[in-house]
Parts: sequence; structure tokens; C-alpha cells
Amino acid sequence: MMITTTTTLTESAEPSAPPPTPTPMQGPARRRRLGHPGEPYAFIAPTAVLMLVLMIVPIVLVIGYSFMDNVITKKNPEFVGIENFVEVLTDGVFATALGNTLFFTIVSVVAHLLLGLGFSMLLNSPLVSRASRAVFRVIYILPWLFTAAVIAVLWRMLLNPNGVVNYLLSSDVEWLSSPSLALGAVTFINIWAGYPFFMISLLAGLQGIPADLYEAATVDGANGWQRFRNVTLPQLRPIIISMTLLDLIWTSQQFALIWMTTGGGPIHVTEMLSTFTYKLAFSRYEFALASTSAVIILLLSMVLAFFYVRHQRARD
Amino acid sequence: MTTTTISRTRQRMTKKVLVILGLLAGAAFAGFPVLWMLAISFKSNTEIFEYPPRLVTESFSFDAYVTILTDPEKVRFFVNSYVVSLSVTAFTLVVAILAAYAFSRFEFRFKRPLNMIIVSVQAVPPITLLIPYFGLMVTLGLYNTYPGLILTYMVFTLPYAIIMMTGYFNTLPRELDEAVRVDGAGSMTALWRILVPISVPGIVSVGVYTFMIAWNEYLFALTLTKTQDMRTVPIGIQLLMGQHSYEWNEMMAMSILGSVPVLILFLFFQRYFIGGLTSGSVKS
Amino acid sequence: MSKEAHDRRRTLRVLGTSVAAVALFATAGCSASSDSGSGDGDVVLEFAQWWEPELPDGAFRELMDEFEAENPGITVELLSGPYASTKEQLFAGAAAGTMSDVVGLDGAWVSDFANQGAIADLTELMGESDYDDSELASQIQVDGATYMIPVVNFVYPMFTNDDLLAQAGVAAAPTNRTEFTAAANAVAGLGEDTSGWILPLSLEAPNGIQNDVMSWVWATGGSMLDDDGQPDVTNSDVTSAVEYVKGLWDDGAIAPGAFTMKEQDKVEEFTNGRVGMMIDSLAHINLIRESNPDLNFSISALPADDGFDGERGIPYASWGIGVADSSEHKAEAFKLVEFLMSEKTNSKLSSIANAFPGNTESVPDFVAEDELFATAFEIYQNGYPANEFTGLPVAEQLMRLFDEQFQVLLDGGQSVDEMLEKTQEAWLAEF
Repeated sequence: MMITTTTTLTESAEPSAPPPTPTPMQGPARRRRLGHPGEPYAFIAPTAVLMLVLMIVPIVLVIGYSFMDNVITKKNPEFVGIENFVEVLTDGVFATALGNTLFFTIVSVVAHLLLGLGFSMLLNSPLVSRASRAVFRVIYILPWLFTAAVIAVLWRMLLNPNGVVNYLLSSDVEWLSSPSLALGAVTFINIWAGYPFFMISLLAGLQGIPADLYEAATVDGANGWQRFRNVTLPQLRPIIISMTLLDLIWTSQQFALIWMTTGGGPIHVTEMLSTFTYKLAFSRYEFALASTSAVIILLLSMVLAFFYVRHQRARD
Repeated sequence: MTTTTISRTRQRMTKKVLVILGLLAGAAFAGFPVLWMLAISFKSNTEIFEYPPRLVTESFSFDAYVTILTDPEKVRFFVNSYVVSLSVTAFTLVVAILAAYAFSRFEFRFKRPLNMIIVSVQAVPPITLLIPYFGLMVTLGLYNTYPGLILTYMVFTLPYAIIMMTGYFNTLPRELDEAVRVDGAGSMTALWRILVPISVPGIVSVGVYTFMIAWNEYLFALTLTKTQDMRTVPIGIQLLMGQHSYEWNEMMAMSILGSVPVLILFLFFQRYFIGGLTSGSVKS
Repeated sequence: MSKEAHDRRRTLRVLGTSVAAVALFATAGCSASSDSGSGDGDVVLEFAQWWEPELPDGAFRELMDEFEAENPGITVELLSGPYASTKEQLFAGAAAGTMSDVVGLDGAWVSDFANQGAIADLTELMGESDYDDSELASQIQVDGATYMIPVVNFVYPMFTNDDLLAQAGVAAAPTNRTEFTAAANAVAGLGEDTSGWILPLSLEAPNGIQNDVMSWVWATGGSMLDDDGQPDVTNSDVTSAVEYVKGLWDDGAIAPGAFTMKEQDKVEEFTNGRVGMMIDSLAHINLIRESNPDLNFSISALPADDGFDGERGIPYASWGIGVADSSEHKAEAFKLVEFLMSEKTNSKLSSIANAFPGNTESVPDFVAEDELFATAFEIYQNGYPANEFTGLPVAEQLMRLFDEQFQVLLDGGQSVDEMLEKTQEAWLAEF
């Protein structure tokens, strides 16, 4: 796309040289001479331009709003310093929302990971014929195919006091309306809706594990569990870490699903940071406070991002 | 000798039964709600809330599907969704593969801050970005256009795609592509001829997910379009949730219709999940 | 090996081709969508609303065609969205200065948009075009100026499932609270699956507070505001209504799932014959009939406090109309408002929407043709339309605040007095 020249010392240029015939490495000195120093920037450029214009600009605006009063709803907003931050952080509902979000996110992500790992192992099992694996794969990605509104409406229907779930269990539980069950119920729905993401990525990751690693492990006398622990998991680790990070961030801002099933209720038991922020903006018309809440969420996730980046560096 | 073979066969059988039981249980968990959705799409609106519930009712009909498929406005929603989602998938993959290559194979000065920004920007609740973002799109003249939606979704999907592709590239031995570069080929060659072909399963899974994000997004699709000829399937579905009542069966039928082509696409790409790599190709 | 390599190369080629194709598509789409409006120098009015998808197919467009025929040179472009997202869309549009010329409004949003400066002062526009507002049933004002005109109103009487009531030994629809309690408990006592009354309290759409809770206050001529229009939820009217509903809840007469129930769910439960009584919009009459032709139901006025014989307030919701302050065609926009409020058009619109007209002279067809609607019209004329949330600042938030405290009360977490005091405090903070 943008980079066509590279400076290498080797003369025998053979641009199209598949399949890969690995040559033994010739020491680190060799590596340093590969490529032009500006090259990585060229690779990053399209991403950087897009993100700068369409993501960083609005985010900077939002950060600006968080220090103002009555943005958008008034023509001349005033600078109020950190007043908004004090107001949001001392709001009791914010603490509740933070706690719920943590529960919802951590339980969802752990369940996504376990289900994703379990299902992808099952789907990859050589014990089952190819055709039936193909059928199961299609069934297993079904929860993925629907927009949040439909998932919300569908589960509301299933979990209705007069709905199918109660009929099948011969119970009359108010799954979503009872203050003691609602948070668990929305978390369950989110688990259902989100595990295919892990499953598919791990399934793809499993294909990348060289079969000879398993062969070697078997020769060494490793049983199934040992092979899983010593070969599969370490090989999938980079993917698992990336996905866990992404899922943590995404789940923590899940909005539509919660809003359309419980609206953050009953009382505040399913109130999340996302619903809290939404209500500030579109129910109370306090767009500045909503921006403040968004900035706080951004700061919280920076911590996550920091660990992720540090982890990456450590691995390099 | 014979006894060990028998016990081994028996062990294998037990394992197989367990795996199949596990698969069936998972399928029930994943599939039942969707089965119910399918059932609703064939019912009349009255029967959907009857108690005790039934899977199939007397008024079984394809009416909901017919209503949708004969309405040119709704068909247009599907066309729009395809144009937007396919474009987003293609562009995102290309741009993300380039960036992921840089993150995975190069050391450069702003690597860590850039990485950090890419990870954390995703955490800003989209609902708060809505208003400034909308103003930006109006200013750029992208309001109510395909490029407006496509660029928007690219911004949403790129961080994910880059992180995942970086992860996949990291699982591949460096020696593989460096060897080619040592042999004098350029980085582009190393990337597109070596890394990309062996990363196809990863690319497919990232692509599928990118497609799904673009396909299912509602809030920005609604805000960034204003005329019916620009709107996408999720908006069409929400339009069936009226102020006073819902068109349950049509809503479900529209969701099912939207998912079928995606399923077919998935079936087509499945071989990349099955085939995988032969043990020889990534030996280092 | 070579087959695999071949496959991969083919995939790449497919990928490349699709990128190219898609790029073409995108550019085509771009150019196709950029020619907005007609090139004849006509005025194009954008009309953003959620009404078109709620009405029979094409019915609203037909009305617009009539308007265009009467007003050559003006074209109306209908921009329709889902009701649940309309407010956010208007808000974003107002912030970016791209709000449609004419907008459909809900009474609960008026104050916020007016304060934001997003919608125009209609009193001024009426003055400019010498409009006679004597036929308007109501106008929604903020600080003495009109910002919204209700085009059609949906009133909320009481629906009763007559078969269920008869089964429970209740001969006639209850007219006061005591009778209502007796009837509700009798129906709830029929069996596992039936409830006497249904109460939607979803926090996503908290309008159950307005339609199903405050309606008890208004039906007895009470108010939730003091004479200056400030919150006054600790007064005896509101207290007795809240105590009353809490009593029904404790009796177990209310259908399960109330805390996350929405208006749409309420109707489904009633339609399926599991609920004896509900307070609901007239807009649902035809839906219920279509969905369950066998359901034997009737409508009557909301029960009032025992012994009350004054005029009863009836809750209502409106489809209101306003003009964007940023519109460059305010005069033309107001013509559309005038058209919709004219006796003839308003009759037609209220007929197709099953609503009551915003023009006092208009009479919708269904009043003459349909017995149930005739009854409703009678109830409507005997009482007065009551919705104190209309025109209040952050009206939806007020309902939500009330709802949250109300849920705590029903859940046994506080007393009625505590609940009302907390609500009063929370409301005052928003005023």
C-alpha cells in the first residue's frame, strides 16, 4: 500500500518466494539491518489517521465537556474545574453502578472464557466426525448473529413470569424483576450472547498449534490433561490474553442488553456504569456529568490498558 | 496386548460419548433461545404470549417473512447492511493487518503509547461520544452516507482487529517471515506472502467478528442516517417495536432473515477452521 | 500442500476483488445520497417523527401528499425513527444544528428542548401568520410561550376483562377504590395464572408512573404539584394513592414481573386473558381485538376515591408537534402545523391513529361507528385530560426517580412517608 522499498544487504532478491523455506537465523546483527526505520510508521499510518480524526477528536471534546457546566443544553457553558468529578464520584448510585459493573464484567468474562475454551475443545475433538462438528459449530455461533435489541426482547420473553423458562422448570420465578435475581439474570443473558467471540477465536487459535507438539508430548507420556495444560494453554495464551482484555473492556460498557431488559432496575440492582452514564445524558440532560462519567470510565480502563501493554513488553 | 487394546477402545468410546454429550448440552444452551425465536416468527402475535407455551401452533405461517420480503423498504435495509458490513470487514482487515504487522514485528518509538491508546479508546461509552461524533460527521459531510457509516464502524472495529491480529502474528515464529526478508524480499512480501496466508484462520475469525459488529450496530446507524434508503437492519427491527406494541413475529423473522446469509458465509469459511496447518509448515 | 497454497492464493484474490467492489459501492452510495431534495428551488420540509411506522402503511404519507397538493412549492420529507430512540436523535440533531424543520414531540420532552433553545416559540409563529388558536384543545407552554401543540391525544381509561370479572363474581366494572380492591382480589383469587390488576414499572420506560400510578391521583381530582407548579408529592392526594397501590401489592392482586414490565407487556398479558383490569391507552383497542377476537372486554372511567363526585382527570399521552428553532423555513413549517391541526386533517389523523383530536371541532369517525370508542369519548368529555408531567423539566427523570423510590417501597425497603419524602427531595433538586 505505501511501502515498496526495503533496504537489505542480500543481493539475491526473489520477491515471490513461497512456500516458506526457513533458513537458520544468522544472529541478531542480521535482524537489525532488516527494513527501513520509517517502515513501521507507514504500516500504522492508515490506522493512526482514522483513529485520530474519528476517535481522538470526539474523545478530546468529551474530556473538555467534563470540565464544563451545562454543555450542549446551554449556549455558553462555563468552566467549572473538577466540580463534575466530585459530583459524580460522590453520587451513591455511581458506587453501586461500579460494583455491579465489576460483578457483571468479571463473571461474564470468566464464563465466556471457560465456555469458549470448553466449546472450542469439543468442536475441535477428532472423536467426532467432521460433518457433525460442522453442524455443531453452526449451532454454537447462533447467539452471535443477533442485534442486542432482539436478544433483549427474546430473553425478556423467555424469562417472563409466564414465559417458557418458568414453564419448563414448572416454577414461577420473576427472573428479571426480583431484586435478588435480576443481576444474575442479566449476567446470564450476557454470557449467552457473548461466548461465541471467545469460542471462534480460540477455535482459530487451536488450528495454529503444530501437531508435532502434541506428538512430542504424547511420546513423553503426557495424558490428555497434561497435554492441554502444557501444550494447548501455553500456545493459546497470547490469544487468551488479548481476548480477555477486549472482553473486559466491552462487557464493562454493555448497554443495550441491560437497558432493554431491566433498564438498570429493579431499584438499582442492575445499574451499570453504562446505564448510569446514559441516564445522566438523556434522562437528566446533564451532558457534562455524563462526559465526566465517561472520562472516569476511560481512566479506569487505562489501568487495564497499561497492564496489557506492560505484559506485551515483558513477552518481547 | 489384546486386553490393553480393548480397554483402550473402551476408553475411547467413553470419551467419545462424553464429548457428544457435552456437545449436545452446549447445543441446547446455545440453540434453544434461537429455536424459540424461530418458532415465534411462524406464530401469530396472539399466540406468542399464550400459556402454556407451545413450539408450534395452529396458525403456523410464513406471513411474517412474506411481509418483510415484499416490502421494498425493508429489503433495502438488508442491502444497506450488506454494503456497509462487507465494506467494513474488507477495509478493517487490510488496515488492521498492516498495523498488527508493525506491532508484532517492529520496535519503534511510539509503540507503547500507541498500543495503549488503541486499547483504551474502546472504553469510552459510545453513548457519550454520540453527540460530538455526530457533529463531526455533519461537518465532514458524511452524515447520511455509506462512507460515514463505514468509517465509523472501522473506527470501532480497528482496535479489536489490530489487537487480535497482533496476537495471531505473535503466535507465529518470527523466523518465518524474517527468513524471507533476509533473503531480500520486502516487508510487504513477507507480510502478504508468508504471514497472511498462514494466518487465514485468525483473519477469518477477526473478519467474522468485524462483520457481526457492523451488522448488529444500532445506535450510530440510527443517528448517522436520516432517510429510509440509508438505514440498516437493526433499525428496521427496532422500527417494529412501536410506542404501543411490538410486531413480535416480524421482528423475529427479520432477525432470522438477517442471520441466514451470515450463517452461509460462516459455513463457507469453516474449512479454514478445520484445515488448519500441517505440522510441517511452521517448524522452526 | 500445493492445493492449500492454491486455495490461499484464491482467497486472497477473492479478498482483493471484494475490496475493490466494495470501494466502488461505497463511492456509488456516496454520490447517490448526496442529491437531497428536489432541484426546483422548492422548499423541502423535513418532518422527523415516530408516527408513520405506528400508522397503517402509507396512511401518513397520504396526508402529506394532500398537504403538498394544497401548498405547491413545499415538499415534505418524512424521517421516521423508532419511538424509543426519538428523543436521543432530536437531542443530537439539536446539538449539531441539523434538527428537522418539523418534529414530533412527546409532552415529557418539551421543557428540555425549549430550554435548550432547540424548538421554536410557536406563540410567535402563530402571531406572525395570524393563526386563530381558538380551536386548539391544548397548547404546551414553557414560561408562558407555546412550544408544542398536541396533535392527537391517547387517553388512558380502565379496561376490564368482563369474562374474568364475571367468573370472579364481579357484576359491574368497579367505580371506586373499594370496589376496585374487591374486584382485583377476587380475580387474583381465581387461580395461579390470573391477576387482578397489572402495573408496569420498568425503569427503562418509566411512564407507568404517569399512566398507572399518578392516574389514581388525578382520577380523584388531586395533584402532585402545588399552586406554583412546584413538586408536592407528600400531599394527601398522592399519599393516599400510593398507599392504595401498596395495599393492592401487599394483597398479591398485582401481576408478577411489575418491576421490569413495560406498557407493551401489560397489553400482551391483558390480551391473553390473564389480567382482570388495566389502565391503558385507547390506541390498543384495535390491537387487542385483532390479537384476541374472543376477549370480552369493556372500558370505563378510572375508579376514584370512595364518595368522590367531582370531575375526574384522565391521563393521556400526546403526539405533539413543534418547529425546530434552527429551521430556515419556519413559515412553511408552521403551515404544516396548521394543516395537521385543521379540522379536516385532524379528524382524519385521529381516526387512523385511534386517538382523540387536538382540534376541538374535529370528530374522528370511530366515535360514531364504534361502541367502545363512543364510551371512551363520553368518559373523555365528562372528565378532563390530566397529565401533570407534560411540560415539566426532565419529566422522564422525575418519573424514574419516583419509580425507583416506589420500587423500594413495594419491595418492603421503606414506608410510604419515607418514600414520598425522598421523592419530593429528589424532585426539588431537578426543578
